[in-house]
Amino acid sequence: MANWRKFLRDRWRYFDAALALAVIIGSLVYIYELLVGSRGLDVAYITRNYPLYLHAVFTNVYATTIAFVVGMALGFSVGWLRTARSLSVAKFAASMRVEKRERQEAPSGSEVTRRLLVVLSLLWYGTKYVVRRVGDGFVEIIRGTPLYVQILFASSFFIVFLPQYASEGILIGIIALAINTGGYQAEIFRAGLQTVHSGQIEAARAIGFSRLKAMRYVILPQALRLIIPPLTNEYIGLFKASTFLFVLGVQTEISYIAQHEGFAGDVFEIFAIVTAIFLAITVTLSFVVQALERRFRIPGLGIEQVRLPRGVRTARVVG
Amino acid sequence: MIRVEDIQKHFGALHVLRGITFDVQKAEAIVIIGPSGSGKSTLLRCINLLVEPDSGKVFIDGVHVNRHGIRHEWVRQQVGMVFQSFNLFTHLTAIENVTLGLTRVKGIPHDQAIEKARKLLARVGLAAKENAYPAELSGGQQQRVAIARALAMDPKAMLFDEPTSALDPEYIREVLDVMTVLAREGMTMIVVTHEMGFASNVASRILFMDAGKIIEEGTAEDIFQNPKEDRTRSFVSKILR
Repeated sequence: MANWRKFLRDRWRYFDAALALAVIIGSLVYIYELLVGSRGLDVAYITRNYPLYLHAVFTNVYATTIAFVVGMALGFSVGWLRTARSLSVAKFAASMRVEKRERQEAPSGSEVTRRLLVVLSLLWYGTKYVVRRVGDGFVEIIRGTPLYVQILFASSFFIVFLPQYASEGILIGIIALAINTGGYQAEIFRAGLQTVHSGQIEAARAIGFSRLKAMRYVILPQALRLIIPPLTNEYIGLFKASTFLFVLGVQTEISYIAQHEGFAGDVFEIFAIVTAIFLAITVTLSFVVQALERRFRIPGLGIEQVRLPRGVRTARVVG
Repeated sequence: MIRVEDIQKHFGALHVLRGITFDVQKAEAIVIIGPSGSGKSTLLRCINLLVEPDSGKVFIDGVHVNRHGIRHEWVRQQVGMVFQSFNLFTHLTAIENVTLGLTRVKGIPHDQAIEKARKLLARVGLAAKENAYPAELSGGQQQRVAIARALAMDPKAMLFDEPTSALDPEYIREVLDVMTVLAREGMTMIVVTHEMGFASNVASRILFMDAGKIIEEGTAEDIFQNPKEDRTRSFVSKILR
């Protein structure tokens, strides 16, 4: 009896996984019974039609990847801007004080250049402030409205202002997706950059790194490692969301599903094809990313899987 | 070597430094003591301009550094800094921590940087640990790597901001030993620390700071045995126990 209990305790996670798998397979079998039942799977339909869907998925991959990369540039810039929260009144005041002091000590240079300096300085800090607040608004608008609406809005925008491009569904779609993912990635980047300890930046500055170089050689390498998981999430989410592009006339799976004459009869087969293709891509991607994470893992940075005695599983956040 | 003239610093409504003036000669080691919140760390940060003083002048090797037209990055290369919490770059190994500044700030070729970093790591007694990541090193070892990283830039002076107060007691010795050797070799140093043994053995002068001012200045004997000011006396009695 005691042995049996020990066995159960030690091997619990296998039972756990097996149970989860059983539930998934069970539901799939149930749905299969419900939709296909005794009529049998139309294998001929699948073999005949899967290239169509495969083709549609490649459109998705292509649109998603371009949008993701463009969105990354956008997200990084906005995210970086948003790490600095407030108006730098203090910095402006400090630079003015230094200027004033120097003028008293060495009254050189004309009054005009001095005034120009003040105006330029004010303009510089003011612009930075405005750009930051615009970034805030951008993120809130993107996060606060449905992607579907954003795509329709982009389409209307093109119809009204750039009618010559209004029929380029894929172009409009990529732009809409890039802006959307840019908003979400801005938050991912902001969180990642802010997670890097301020002491790291101070240490980099102390050995003579400029702000930009500290970002490039110290902060980004750490932040990127931390945000690989949420970025992967974002890519997979965007990939799935890209099926919405059918509203722009881009041929995606949904348009085939909606248009297809066999919609009533072969509905299970259609979903089987689409599900299989999507799962194949997303599961492969998450394996690749996991491998990447292992490859670039550094002791003491990020989430470390700690091997505890059998039967206990936990993750620890370090540093 | 380092000269500070009437430095004032506010953080918002907080008046952190209220007119600090002092001189550090070449090859001199100064120890700054004082209660927490007295502005010691801010003073160090004002010297390498990690914090910009509101007013007053900072001279390094005769150059007035806190004025327009002088790049802060250049100033910071002239004075090395060692932090209380080490702040080693987490994503780099010990030797990469030392070489990063050499290759990316000074533009020294990679193999020369490695050679120099190996020498420095050997000097702080960590030649065997060059490929360890910070998380794999003890606190004392991390702090010694941090010292090597600062020395790699060939600074004219070194600033130490409570280098041993985040360390477990058994690691304090090894860090202080490295600092002592450095001082004996003639490095100009300003050290914020409450290690009285180190202060007595190494410091040419001790400054006692409180509430943003230098209250008293003197040799270790002056400050620890015969403090003139009441505030110094009460502080010293607390830390000497």
